[in-house]
Parts: sequence; structure tokens; C-alpha cells
Amino acid sequence: MTNHEHEHAIELITCRGVEDIAAPDTAWLDLHLATCTECSDYAALTDSTGRLLRSVAITASPALVMMTQARLRARSLEMRERESRMFLIGVSFCLGVLSSTASAWLWWKFGSWVAQMLGLPESIVGPGVLLFWLLPAIAIAMLLMFVPQTVFNHPLMLALAREREGEIR
Amino acid sequence: MVATAFSSLVPMETEESQIAHGLRRRDPDLLDALIEQYQHRLLRYLLHLAGNRAVAEDLFQETWLRVLEKGHQYDGRNRFVTWLMSIGHNVAIDYLRKKNPRSLDELADPEDGAPFEPPATGPSPFDLALAQQQHEMFDAALGQVPAIFREVLVLRFQEQMKLEEIAQLIHIPLATVKTRIYRGVMALRPALKGAAQ
Repeated sequence: MTNHEHEHAIELITCRGVEDIAAPDTAWLDLHLATCTECSDYAALTDSTGRLLRSVAITASPALVMMTQARLRARSLEMRERESRMFLIGVSFCLGVLSSTASAWLWWKFGSWVAQMLGLPESIVGPGVLLFWLLPAIAIAMLLMFVPQTVFNHPLMLALAREREGEIR
Repeated sequence: MVATAFSSLVPMETEESQIAHGLRRRDPDLLDALIEQYQHRLLRYLLHLAGNRAVAEDLFQETWLRVLEKGHQYDGRNRFVTWLMSIGHNVAIDYLRKKNPRSLDELADPEDGAPFEPPATGPSPFDLALAQQQHEMFDAALGQVPAIFREVLVLRFQEQMKLEEIAQLIHIPLATVKTRIYRGVMALRPALKGAAQ
């Protein structure tokens, strides 16, 4: 017998019981097992392995099942809550983008109108609107730069800072 | 009984596509039914993989949590049990790698936990004792078999899975599955011969 025949027999032994084996292959295997001690030994070993493995009774306890089900329900709820939060954040972001775009357009139109009324060139509208938009931030930055440091070290300011820190904690 | 209960939930479509649909919706009733239906098979597989009941129970819960989180990835084209076991395999591998990156087998301590339980019914005390002895021998021998071989043996002979399903589940070539089964059976040979005597 060739090595190929033994390999084929082992493959069929491994497959039998679970996978469909063609009738000629089954007949060939039976014939082979009748004459090959090595392969029939392997067939007996696989039968014993299957029998012993299937006879082992391992069961999950009801407590484990119940605990898993409870954890899954809790996790599912948590995921749904997170999803709805993310949805709200997404909606807020979209609304924010939309309102910013709309207000920028309105400010641009207003700037053009002001420029027209004052007889200023059209090219000034862009920088003007931008400056107008950034003005609050620029003003606060300037204020912070020029206000003396002693103001921040004033007992009243320090007390306010401590109070705020306590709120955060 | 549980399978019947689950079948009542899936009267029209194929079971797999119903499960896929339910998992996408994270249907809690479906998940409860699935846990009950596959509880023993999954625990058995994880127990053989981890070799420790407490660890296997943790992995069992972790597997179902991952099923919940990754449920949308199941498309219903393959059997649910194959997908479930595949998740279980990944969870176990992640855990075992974290626990001991050098060898997956070092976790398998025969003294730790009670991996196997005797059958609930037995014809006579003598038969029961004999069966118990055979199981103990087999259990000990199985514990000595490297995890990669033990895993395919359990999937093939206990879970009755097709070789292609096993290959798909463990993400290895079909030829490797065949080789691992052969080598696993041969590794059990001394114990099986002893049990037969």
C-alpha cells in the first residue's frame, strides 16, 4: 500500500460520522481497514476519542446563565444610552455647523450692506466680518495681557478661584 | 427544550438570518434564548481550552458580551454556532495570551477547578466506578495534549463540527486541521489504550 492510500484512509476516518462520504469511498475505506492494521488502529482510536469526549457531561450552572443574561441586559441598556447620547451630540454638532454657516452668511450680507452704505470698497467686507467675528476673543486676550498680575492675586479673585475649584471637585 | 423555545421565536425566516437580524437590533429576548440554547456547548469548549472552570465561566460571560457588541458583524450566512465558537476562541486566546504569553497550556492545571463532571445517570456502582476511572484517565491525558490539538479534538468529536467549519473558526488551513486532529488522537493513544483495557 502507498502512503497516499494511508493518507486518504486517515482523511476519510477523520471525516466520517460528521461529513458526507460517497458510497465508493466508504466501500474503499472498509476494504482498506480490513487489510491495514495501522489505519484500523487509528479508526478505533478516533472512535474511542469521540465516545469518551461525548460521554463527558459538562453543564453550565443556572446561576451562570442568569448572571450572563443579566450582564448582557445591563450592557445592552448602557450601549443604547451611549448611542442616544452620541446621537444627541451629533444632532447638536450639525445644528451648530448649520447655525454658524447661516449666521456667517448673514454677517457677510450685513457687512456688504454697511460697506455699500458707507461707500467703502467691496474687498473690505471679508476682513471686516472676520475681525468682527474675532473681536470678542481679541478683546479678552488684550484685556488679559494688559491687566496687571496683582489683580489675579487679589484675595477676592483667589477666593473665587478656590470656590470654583471646590465646585469642580 | 430550549431549542424548541427558540424555534418559536423564529417561525418564518431561516434561523441564522433571524439571529443576524436580532443581533443587529440587540434583541434581549433573542440573546436570552441564545444563551440558554448554546450554554453547554460554549462552556464545554471554553473549559477544554482553558482547562479551568472558573476561567471558563469568565470567558463564557466575556464571549456573550462580545457577541452583543459585535452582533452586527454576523451576517447569517454561516451557522451561528460556528460564529459563536469563533468569538469564544478569540476571547480565550486573548485571555490566555494576556495571562501567559509563552504557552497556552501552562494554565491547564488538573488540580485547579473541576473540569469534568461524571454523568448524571449510571447503571450500576461498578459501571459508574469504571466509567469514572476511564474518564479520569482520559481527562488527565486530554489535559496533557497541547491546547491547539485539544481544541480541534473537542470541536470535531464533541461538537461534531465539519472540518471546514473548524478551519473557519480557528482561522487555520483545512490541511492543518486534519494534521492537528491526527496528532491529537495519536497523543491520546496511550490513555485510550489504557481505558480500553
